[in-house]
Amino acid sequence: MGLGLLASKAMRPASRIFNSQNPRNFLFRTIVSKPELQKPETSAAQAQPDPPPVDLPPRTPVAGARVHFPNPDDAIEVFVDGYPVKIPKGMTVLQACEVAGVDIPRFCYHSRLSIAGNCRMCLVEVEKSPKPVASCAMPALPGMKIKTDTPVAKKAREGVMEFLLMNHPLDCPICDQGGECDLQDQSMAFGSDRGRFTEMKRSVVDKNLGPLVKTVMTRCIQCTRCVRFATEVAGVQDLGMLGRGSGEEIGTYVEKLMTSELSGNVIDICPVGALTSKPFAFKARNWELKGTESIDVTDAVGSNIRIDSRGPEVMRIVPRLNEDINEEWISDKTRFCYDGLKRQRLNDPMIRGADGRFKVVSWRDALAVVAEVAHQVKPEEIVGVAGKLSDAESMMALKDFLNRMGSNNIWCEGTGMNPNADLRSGYLMNTSIAGLEKADVFLLVGTQPRVEAAMVNARIRKTVRANQAKVGYIGPETDLNYDHQHLGTGPQTLLEIAERRHPFYSTLANAKHPVIIVGAGLFEREDKDTIFSTVETIAENAKVVRPDWNGLNVLLLNAAQAAALDLGLVPESGNSIESAKFVYLMGADDVNLDKIPGDAFVVYQGHHGDRSVYRANVIFPAAAFSEKEGIYENTEGYAQQTFPAVPTVGDARDDWKIIRALSEVAGIKLPYDSLGAIRARIRTVAPNLVHLDEREPATFTASLKPASSQKITLTPFENVVENFYMTDSITRASKIMAQCSALLTKK
Amino acid sequence: MAWRGCLSHNFKELRILLCQSSPASLTTRTFVEKNYKDLNTLNPKLPILIRECSGVEPQLWARYDMGVERDVRLEGLTEEQICKALEDLVKIGESLKA
Repeated sequence: MGLGLLASKAMRPASRIFNSQNPRNFLFRTIVSKPELQKPETSAAQAQPDPPPVDLPPRTPVAGARVHFPNPDDAIEVFVDGYPVKIPKGMTVLQACEVAGVDIPRFCYHSRLSIAGNCRMCLVEVEKSPKPVASCAMPALPGMKIKTDTPVAKKAREGVMEFLLMNHPLDCPICDQGGECDLQDQSMAFGSDRGRFTEMKRSVVDKNLGPLVKTVMTRCIQCTRCVRFATEVAGVQDLGMLGRGSGEEIGTYVEKLMTSELSGNVIDICPVGALTSKPFAFKARNWELKGTESIDVTDAVGSNIRIDSRGPEVMRIVPRLNEDINEEWISDKTRFCYDGLKRQRLNDPMIRGADGRFKVVSWRDALAVVAEVAHQVKPEEIVGVAGKLSDAESMMALKDFLNRMGSNNIWCEGTGMNPNADLRSGYLMNTSIAGLEKADVFLLVGTQPRVEAAMVNARIRKTVRANQAKVGYIGPETDLNYDHQHLGTGPQTLLEIAERRHPFYSTLANAKHPVIIVGAGLFEREDKDTIFSTVETIAENAKVVRPDWNGLNVLLLNAAQAAALDLGLVPESGNSIESAKFVYLMGADDVNLDKIPGDAFVVYQGHHGDRSVYRANVIFPAAAFSEKEGIYENTEGYAQQTFPAVPTVGDARDDWKIIRALSEVAGIKLPYDSLGAIRARIRTVAPNLVHLDEREPATFTASLKPASSQKITLTPFENVVENFYMTDSITRASKIMAQCSALLTKK
Repeated sequence: MAWRGCLSHNFKELRILLCQSSPASLTTRTFVEKNYKDLNTLNPKLPILIRECSGVEPQLWARYDMGVERDVRLEGLTEEQICKALEDLVKIGESLKA
């Protein structure tokens, strides 16, 4: 009846022949199976439950999941192990069991992927059904009586386990998945306590999927999760199933690397050790690691991550679930940039001597030198630039410090020289990342979400797949992994749409939930105000912004950008850097160093010896995002904070503390000396930043703004992110990211 | 209302903090809706930062030269009173300069 019985029938003669032919094998064969141990009745007799208790304690759904009823009339009732549960129509038996608080073992089923139903691990007994059913693929029907812990179900799982383990190597001691392996856990929970397998195991040639994913294909149990992930979520048709029967294997058919920016996620979804992290291979065991829940800073999405560290070293980065932002995926840059945290680090305050070489000095000396120089120049010659990875606290401190020095020239990289920070709706993703799923038409203006914000791109792709949403794109030739219309390359097309001359205008105007996403790369353009007002005209004509729907979005590029604009890092004059005498670069590595005058005194505060260090006169070593507590606001206005996972390197300090110390040495002491106090200060500037883990939407739309009178230039939009894998000082220092850019970027 | 054009002479930055939905911030919201365009047109270079945050008490902050800041709590004030408060902040700026 059960698969286990079939297995025992199929295998018993074989083992007998094997033993009779080679009696010496008996010595080696320590695991013995007796026929009576294989009978379902025996285990059934032991597991025969007592009559169910009269008072059924209420059960809570697995992982505290909530059930959403799209239509209350469509609720049906099923019984799971005798407990009645109400579920919406269309749910599967497995989902019904989860609602009832019963976790069904599974390998191939994944809630975010299509249903394959090929591992058979989720077999349960359903009353009046002659055979156990695969619960992941069976829709729940009204009144269904599901039994999950009957002898039949147990026997079925045991049988499936036995089949899966037949060809699974016994290399758990050297497997990187060990300790977090679904197969390991489930064979402990549901497997048989002895094996009967004596033949040779099959072996499969390993595939080369690139520098990120290590494959040991012999361990593969053909659950096809990775294949489904690649085709459905990542949008690359690279992986597939080859061969049949025992020759079945996962592969790329021809030797080919997996060129997706989300490829690292197959490591997480692989239930066994077939796909593991190549950089993490043999580095650590997962039970040695300390997990710290933190936030990613390599793009403006603010993906939720867990930093796994051992001692002072970041060992790996894995995603954390956040349905509003990254669901349970992260991009490869987020996942694998961590080795950059160990290279090129600045660990001591340094002053450049007369010979042009850096000399290590004490904090006291370095601060004294900088404070003295800062007082020698005129206030308007002081300039501050915050970098891509700056947290809100340090930007607040830098702004207050420069303001008190009398300078108003402070800005953040990537916001352009003339940012408009007045209305938050002008630089945030107003629809919210999760809200994009409702959209039916997208217009991407000068943005390539695939390289600028991979997780936002994954949302757009999800929407395109689910709603058949249409995507129009204006910008340079690009590779988007969903169907899209390339409308044009520059403002010309935008003007045509605004004047309703372009065919895409009617698509946009007829949409129920139209979305326009403008890339933050346009901030750097001279005519950005006109471009934005053109986009606003389109939004107004096509009714993109309505009381119930705000579809006008800006997709930011850097983790610091949203907070910087919220805090008002707006320079007073656009070309102040050309006349600057004192330049304070707080982690800013992408400023045009040629613009800084030769006689200017440059202070670089940061964690990496990257581009700007070559021009710096004084270096202040600071903490990286993995070493400090800092607030970051993502592109949709969702404030989150990082937590320190590892200690700082050498003599480095938190960014805001350095500025606070400098202010004291300079004699204009900033009125805060604790994290709480600086956050209280932020509360008086942008209170939304201290409302952690909450999205504060913007209410005032662009209609309040006066029209721009600038002249539009017809220069086409440019690529903003040249290389997805290397965008900031951490990723530029990373060896893995260097390998990726060498192998995976399209030339 | 000549003082409106002098905002950028006295202020370095003007911040209006308010809640998106609370009744306490209602007058501030209408103040912003009615006056922002005008203030922005008259002072194109001045950052007028409007910061929404749920549950926050409506406030008006002005930053003058050398990082000096003054604030006015706007709860319970009518639109005219908010205008008056802004005018007072401009006057403070003038006195700070002197």
